[in-house]
Amino acid sequence: MSVSRISTAVARSSPRSLRAAAPLAVSTQQQRSMADASTSHAGFTSPFHRGTGNARDTTVMPNWGKYKTGKETSNKVFQYFMVGTMGGLSALGAKNTVQDFLVNMSASADVLAQAKVEVDLATIPEGKNVIIKWRGKPVFIRHRTADEIKEAEDTKWESLRDPQPDTERVQKPEWLIMVGVCTHLGCVPIGEAGDFGGWFCPCHGSHYDISGRIRKGPAPLNLEIPAYDFPEEGALVIG
Amino acid sequence: MAGVLSGVYNTLIRSNGVFLSTIFAGAFATEILFDTGSNAIWNRINKGRQWKDIKHRYMDAGEDDE
Repeated sequence: MSVSRISTAVARSSPRSLRAAAPLAVSTQQQRSMADASTSHAGFTSPFHRGTGNARDTTVMPNWGKYKTGKETSNKVFQYFMVGTMGGLSALGAKNTVQDFLVNMSASADVLAQAKVEVDLATIPEGKNVIIKWRGKPVFIRHRTADEIKEAEDTKWESLRDPQPDTERVQKPEWLIMVGVCTHLGCVPIGEAGDFGGWFCPCHGSHYDISGRIRKGPAPLNLEIPAYDFPEEGALVIG
Repeated sequence: MAGVLSGVYNTLIRSNGVFLSTIFAGAFATEILFDTGSNAIWNRINKGRQWKDIKHRYMDAGEDDE
């Protein structure tokens, strides 16, 4: 053992003395392998050696059969299951994150509860206007008479400034529901006034007819129709 | 066992589109199951304390009033 240590030390220290020490080195190599075999019972054959010989052969394809599993399908299924579960949970998290942001942006329940107004239509006689407040704006409700309905429907609407037939502006012909804000500069028009029997805006003189359409004056558009519904006979919900 | 696993592999995993659809369908089902389950647990723990449990004590008289 001491001899081999000296010889390797010599071989490392100077290349010049390598040639002289070469025979000694070979002999010590043999000695060491013998010593290894005597001290340990572990056997190792490199997968890069052909046969039982110790000569290296880099063209040898090592045989990994020893490491192969016999359960290829179940291992694959397990791996894909884990990958898929991870993907599914990530998809859930992403979906919920997006949803939370969107829900956060939508109106809350108390705001929605105040955004609707219920009106009892039975208290409004024919030929009368009612003004109610909805989302801070006045809303005109007109119970139109048969004559007014006929007048609104017979108007030649194609040539108006904002052409719109009466059927497009009402759900039930006897009920005309409009946001009472002049489309010119936002004044509140006066009911049952003006040249066309409808509404008249005192600020700059816009005349609206009995269907709320602009007929004369500076306003560019007809009076706006809010979203409304008749949930049952004699009841109206605006919003 | 091996037959079941290879069946699962061949039907669900082999095609990427099917695998992806399975993942999303599974995520959807998981969400429903999780929500229903956690709500059921919550309702069981708080049984008798929620508005829907005591609503009949206050609401039966004035049914027309919201």
